[in-house]
Amino acid sequence: MLGYEIFVDGFAISSLYALGAVGFTLIFGVSGVLNLAHGGTMVVAAMIAWLVIGDLHTGVLGGALIGIIAAIAFAFATYFAAVRPIQRSRAIPKEETEIFILTSTLLWGIMIQTAIAYFFTTNPVTVPPLVPGVVHVLSVRTPSNEVLIAVLCWLVMALLWLFVSRTRAGKALLAASINPRALTLCGFELSRIHLLVWAIYGVLAGIAGVLLGTYLGASSDNIGPLTASAFSIVILGGLGSVPGSLIAAYVVGYFETITAYLVAPTLRSIPALIILVLVLYIRPQGILGRR
Amino acid sequence: MRTERLAVAGLTKRFGGLVAVKDIAFALHDGEILGLIGPNGSGKSTVIKLIMGIERPTAGSITLDGTEIAGWPAHRISRAGIGIVFQHSRPLHRQTVLEHVKLALLPDSLLRLAADPHVDARARAIAERVGLERVLDRYPGTLPFADLRRLELAKAIARDPSVVLVDEPFAGLTASEIAEFAGLIRSLRDAGRALLLVDHNVKSVAALVDRVLAMYLGERIAEGSAEEVMRDETVRRVYLGGAIEAGGRTGVAEGTAAPLLEVDGVSVLYGKAQALDRVSIAIREREFVSIVGLNGAGKTSLFNAISGFVAYSGSIRFGGRNLATQSAAAIARSGLVQCPETRELFGDLSVRENLELGGSHLGATERAEQLAWLLDLFPILSERAQQAARTLSGGEQQMLAIARALMMRPRLLILDEPTLGLAPVILSQLSKALARLRETTEITFLLGEQNVTFALPHADRVYVLEHARIIWEGEPKRFAEEAGAAYL
Amino acid sequence: MTRSLLSSRVFLGSVVVLALAALVPFLGRVVPFIAVPYALGVLTSAYYFGVFAMSWDLLFGYAGEVNFGPTFLIGLGAYAAALINNILHWPILPCVIAAAVAALAGGLMLALPALRLRGPYFGLVTLVAVLLLQDVIVVFAHWTGGEIGMTVPDVLSISADTNYWIALAFLVVSAAIIYGYARSSLGLILQAAGQDPVEAAALGFNVAKHKLAAFSLSAIMSGVAGAMLIFYLGSASVDVVVDLAIAVQVIIAAVLGGRRTILGSVIGAVFLILAGQVLLPLGQLSTFVVALIALLVILFFPDGLLGQFLHVGERE
Repeated sequence: MLGYEIFVDGFAISSLYALGAVGFTLIFGVSGVLNLAHGGTMVVAAMIAWLVIGDLHTGVLGGALIGIIAAIAFAFATYFAAVRPIQRSRAIPKEETEIFILTSTLLWGIMIQTAIAYFFTTNPVTVPPLVPGVVHVLSVRTPSNEVLIAVLCWLVMALLWLFVSRTRAGKALLAASINPRALTLCGFELSRIHLLVWAIYGVLAGIAGVLLGTYLGASSDNIGPLTASAFSIVILGGLGSVPGSLIAAYVVGYFETITAYLVAPTLRSIPALIILVLVLYIRPQGILGRR
Repeated sequence: MRTERLAVAGLTKRFGGLVAVKDIAFALHDGEILGLIGPNGSGKSTVIKLIMGIERPTAGSITLDGTEIAGWPAHRISRAGIGIVFQHSRPLHRQTVLEHVKLALLPDSLLRLAADPHVDARARAIAERVGLERVLDRYPGTLPFADLRRLELAKAIARDPSVVLVDEPFAGLTASEIAEFAGLIRSLRDAGRALLLVDHNVKSVAALVDRVLAMYLGERIAEGSAEEVMRDETVRRVYLGGAIEAGGRTGVAEGTAAPLLEVDGVSVLYGKAQALDRVSIAIREREFVSIVGLNGAGKTSLFNAISGFVAYSGSIRFGGRNLATQSAAAIARSGLVQCPETRELFGDLSVRENLELGGSHLGATERAEQLAWLLDLFPILSERAQQAARTLSGGEQQMLAIARALMMRPRLLILDEPTLGLAPVILSQLSKALARLRETTEITFLLGEQNVTFALPHADRVYVLEHARIIWEGEPKRFAEEAGAAYL
Repeated sequence: MTRSLLSSRVFLGSVVVLALAALVPFLGRVVPFIAVPYALGVLTSAYYFGVFAMSWDLLFGYAGEVNFGPTFLIGLGAYAAALINNILHWPILPCVIAAAVAALAGGLMLALPALRLRGPYFGLVTLVAVLLLQDVIVVFAHWTGGEIGMTVPDVLSISADTNYWIALAFLVVSAAIIYGYARSSLGLILQAAGQDPVEAAALGFNVAKHKLAAFSLSAIMSGVAGAMLIFYLGSASVDVVVDLAIAVQVIIAAVLGGRRTILGSVIGAVFLILAGQVLLPLGQLSTFVVALIALLVILFFPDGLLGQFLHVGERE
């Protein structure tokens, strides 16, 4: 019985993590950027969705859509305000670009965190579930919304896979994560690919954020932990490896759920962190990392 | 007989499945300069890393004054008396030249907070010895390239090593600077030190070295005096390919039409190193031009300037349009396509996907036609269509790289070192494919090669690039008598 | 020549700033309406913060190691001191020494992966170290007071003046030690090892040894400063000495002041704390404004406040 609950709950949260982490890892693969404002993107989506559903009575779907659009806008703002100026700066030595982008996106994340805390307080908000009611999955009473989350996450990832393997822009994106210079040789403007990857990242993180808002709720205080879990997942899975990130998302998600059920909910993040440290000591390139 | 200082025997290094260095052996005596030469990827740089302890040897022995040092950490080897001059250096921004030299004189102890008083005088003496006395108080960021190289040399000899390893001593220097630097190296030998110079080719170090050891694909291929090694059959085959044959067509692209590609007074600087010095070339429509030059001469820099990958001074025009304001991708789309030395394939994608990405700016029918034509031209690619590019052999990868470039329907195709690391049988296939392309298409070719035998048969015209400059231009049949002897 | 001029400029500047800092407690006699104890309290915290930032700059600017979790070392020291003071009732001095030992152990634990991992990977280990420390403190809430924190029975002093003088003296001594180390031969070797470990090793320096030394010094200074801070505040809590937000502030202070300057970190820390106070009426938005200012500095003056002023003439 408990096993089933852990299985179902863990699946929902892992699927959300996977969705968020895939966008994060795509950006790293294509442009070598680790976006430490990632949690901000997810929370912005949830907050805006909650706001427009409550205040503008757009309905749940409309609100979710506007939340995702807000996440895309925020992703572009991150790129233009905190990433591109540093990539193009002449005053910053090339070998220090990485640490500068980490710092600037971190600051950007703090800015959005404090702005949200100021306007919406730090109390978590809960986006109304996309579908109400409960269903029985493997004889466990499960909120329909939780099932929908898992289904939607996998649907979105399937769509992403179709996009990458079937469309010209998607293939170019995939190619850019393998060899950006080669793509330039083939006549593609990398600057456009970067815009595309940030847009896709916005969509993925936005969907993950809205769904998170319907499931666990979202508050400005979540921004740090969400970034940390995405960061852990992509390092665990190997930076830039999409399949690695998917596997790692489920490893982390299930470890958290098992700990929450069997040990104590307050300790849910500890085992994942310990695994991460062990992986970094033993196999720094992650589960499926190249290098 | 002079004292044997350093002895290397059976030295081997494997990286995963790749054997980078295989059973290398040599001895180095006091007051001797040994040249270690080989083209890119021959393993020569790995050899000095192994000696210095930067990499650990897989097998073999390295003895210094009879003591086995193989596998020691670098700092211990350095203390034991080996110094190294790196090709690329990253000096500290906030320390002056004098402080850099003092750094090299500091003891490796956690208990000594300040340098000994005599260190200052010694640092000044060393700086003076390498010709840095005028710039002692300047910061590295304000120094010309040659002085940065001197600074590296000063640091390497500061601890009075008995063996000095020098990686590409003359890269990026002008002719007069080379003469001064060679003088410095000679003076170190005359002071009784043993030196090992690593370079791409015999020519640049011939006047300096007492002996030369030539390497290719990790193995020793020749050893002896510079003249002997330059005459050696194997060495000539590695560098030149074999006997030189001139091809050349008649009646192609004569006339007065404006050139398709015009490179005028182009210079390229990497940091402060001069990679290209006022190079001018012109290529007419449908012409096949080869630029020959040894590794490090500046071919790749020239092609990267043309393709918009590096900043340059001077002007480059293609089809009458100035390329300075265009992005690298826009240049590629306009029909000036490069197939780079490093091939730059999408390793995880299949052969077909690689080709489709090359043709993605074409319409669907055009793309299908182009693909069919290329699979016919390179039948092996059609067999391998579904395989990941990473899994192809070297020769197949090169063909894929060329085919992908051709998918873009180039007006002008730049081929940079297509023969690099390929077996002779593949070379002849590649050569046939080029001949066919030249006969059956309107494409203009610009081929950069070290391998003269490969470059000449196809060429209508040849440029020789040496040390960042064009030093000869002419028809291939005149190459052997006018430029061939001086080439290697 | 230029060099000694620059150092003397730094020296003169430090003396002037120090003299000004020493005048602050007497401000009340000149301008009676200023709330001197309040101002002293703010500066006291800022000085401890300055030591945090200097210790971080030694690792980042000199050893080339990006430590995203300076509060791991600070928190270890602070909590070690608080626990020992609470449970074993040792006096303050032995507690501070124990804090140094605990932080040193933590520093060595971090140094181990730092010598093997590069770039973001090491940064992540440090980040995780902070999160784990935070979790451990919450798990052992019985002893540590969990998220609420714990009070310590002993305090340095109840006089704002005395606390100020202690903090200022501690700052001066720490600055002398860290700046002295950074400017000594050892600092030069450390900088060379941080920038290019391969070349430093080829020059005969044991890179691992020098980095370990830097990690140890940075850890000890962080731990001691953390312990001093909680003996000043009279309590230890996650929000004040462990939270990632504090870690970020330490990093911002050092980068703002100018990385690789050590003393700039102090300027950055004081600026950051004062700005936080000035912007206090904005409530939570004050952090927003501080983060914005830090972002703008990073984008437009990547060399930082002091760095901008010192590094004229090093580039073409």
